[in-house]
Amino acid sequence: MDKPGNNPEPLPIWFFVGLILSVYGVLLVIADFLPQARNTVLAETHPALWWGIITTVGGALFLVIGLRGRGQSAKEQDKA
Amino acid sequence: MNVISLAPIDWVIILLYFVLIIGIGLYLRRFTKTGEDFFLAGRRNSSWVAGLAFLSANLGALEILGWTGGTMKYGMAVAHFYWIGAIPAMLFLGLYMMPFYYSSRIHSVPGYLKLRFDERIRLLNAVSFAVMTLLMSGINLYLMALVFRTILGWDWNLSMWVSAAAIGCYITLGGLMSAIFTEIVQFFLIWIGLFLVSVLGVMELGGFDQVFANLPETMSHVWANTGAAADNEMKVTWLGIAMGLGFVLSFGYWTTDFLVVQRAFSSKDLRSARMTPITASFFKMALPFIVVVAGLVAYRLSSDPSKGFALLPHPNNPNELWNDTALPLLIARYYPPGLVGLGITALLAGFMAGQAGNVSAFNTVWTYDIYRAVIKPDATDAQLVWMGRVTTIVGILLSVVTAYVAMQFNTIMDYIQAIFSWVNAPLFATMMLGMFWKRTTSAGAFWGLIAGMITSFAIFMGFKLGLVPHWLSQVLTFSDAPSDMSRNLWQATWGWVVCFVFTLGISLVTKPKTDEELQGLVKGLTDTTEKQALAWYSRPATWAALAFAMLVALNIYFW
Repeated sequence: MDKPGNNPEPLPIWFFVGLILSVYGVLLVIADFLPQARNTVLAETHPALWWGIITTVGGALFLVIGLRGRGQSAKEQDKA
Repeated sequence: MNVISLAPIDWVIILLYFVLIIGIGLYLRRFTKTGEDFFLAGRRNSSWVAGLAFLSANLGALEILGWTGGTMKYGMAVAHFYWIGAIPAMLFLGLYMMPFYYSSRIHSVPGYLKLRFDERIRLLNAVSFAVMTLLMSGINLYLMALVFRTILGWDWNLSMWVSAAAIGCYITLGGLMSAIFTEIVQFFLIWIGLFLVSVLGVMELGGFDQVFANLPETMSHVWANTGAAADNEMKVTWLGIAMGLGFVLSFGYWTTDFLVVQRAFSSKDLRSARMTPITASFFKMALPFIVVVAGLVAYRLSSDPSKGFALLPHPNNPNELWNDTALPLLIARYYPPGLVGLGITALLAGFMAGQAGNVSAFNTVWTYDIYRAVIKPDATDAQLVWMGRVTTIVGILLSVVTAYVAMQFNTIMDYIQAIFSWVNAPLFATMMLGMFWKRTTSAGAFWGLIAGMITSFAIFMGFKLGLVPHWLSQVLTFSDAPSDMSRNLWQATWGWVVCFVFTLGISLVTKPKTDEELQGLVKGLTDTTEKQALAWYSRPATWAALAFAMLVALNIYFW
């Protein structure tokens, strides 16, 4: 959602995407360091760790995009 | 014993998802005041937002689970549902049909039928769409509960009511805005939650080439083995795929089903609306890299007893293996705690977003095409928003009732899954003639649509009740032993053909509307040019050409 309705602007959807991905990414990294209750195939490659890092980086990018979009729309409103 | 057991961190991840979607609903409540806000998300979306929502409304967990399992049965041919069975129709919608939809400033697809034809065809389509949507929503809910009970041991009632309450909460608060927000979150969750299954599967098998190694010939191509129906696992020829799936079913769904088209209506301008399905087409083409690759990995693992991978029996038929468990079993195989929570959240998000899509489309069609059209024509904007909110709750409750009915009578699923070919396939003939031939009359469209719907339904019931003689079955399906898939494709095709012929014939002998009445609704009487001149790289046609080239390349590569 970029600019719903004739109301004040809500935060862009990319902010929420970035928020959830960042939080999930950090949780995945943490999970990799917790004791594992069961063995999974390819556990030795630490998928939670590297996938968590990728998710965190992706989430951070979306957070930046979302916050920049928010800043730009606020400036446009100030000008108007 | 459950297939997957959850660790505390998995529960945290699942809980955070619920917190986020209900939080989004509460947050968006203050931005949702008018009917335009509630039903069309303020009509100010970019093509990226509308495009991802357009795709996500279709991208339910049922589809992902179903087609991953379907790949174990049909092999590479499943990619047809993502490529020829979607992309040409999406591009056609963006390039040729969207100007008529968007320029007429309607709230729904039945709304277009009212403007182009008359009130009775609007009502026919609104009622059939509302019933179809509610039934699909209920079945979605039932299957979600079935999947989670089987793989996680979750209680039926709890998983149905908790997810229904969450969906009811955020749609009632934020309307289509909430649905679109959560659909986009779901899109990303599906990619980060499920794509890793394919990656790890490829790693275990020793590389991408190994996924395709030693597959039976009948499963290893998309087109090469479709010369005769017996040469592929779908038991359908290239003509059945091209006509039934690539043309009738695909165009019927992607260009007329309000569930997906509603997302394009929320765009901020005509270019964004046209780019909505075109943007979505690129992501649609990529989905086989989750679905088909994971399905082929599951097939390879299940073919090798030393891998210890076996599907679960179907809970409703213990003698039959349940292909839908392939993806959850792969999650259990590869995902440690944390990732398991993410994978389950992705499935949960897929189920819930699919349900939310149904409910948000239902509340719009009910409010504008039944309530305002028939019950209260002078309703104010505030009353329409109120009705939309009430309808959301009623729609959710009716979905739950349908889910309980499906739980008691499993055979209802066979009927409900065929509804689409009764409703949408003939409707595409009506829309095509209505938009591109101004001679099409209201009487032709109405009676043609009824004839097409009856034809498709009669063929379905004929096969279901064993009333179709062998010779007629051969004529109808071009096959000696048609599979369920083949029958479904051909019953849709015949529904479309009959609707097309009846609409054409009746229109030639009845009185058409005048050009003045058809301004903005029909080709030749609608200004389809953009308000501003666009650079070549911004034009929808450029991006559609690129998408089409990618589609051709993928089909040649996996021929």
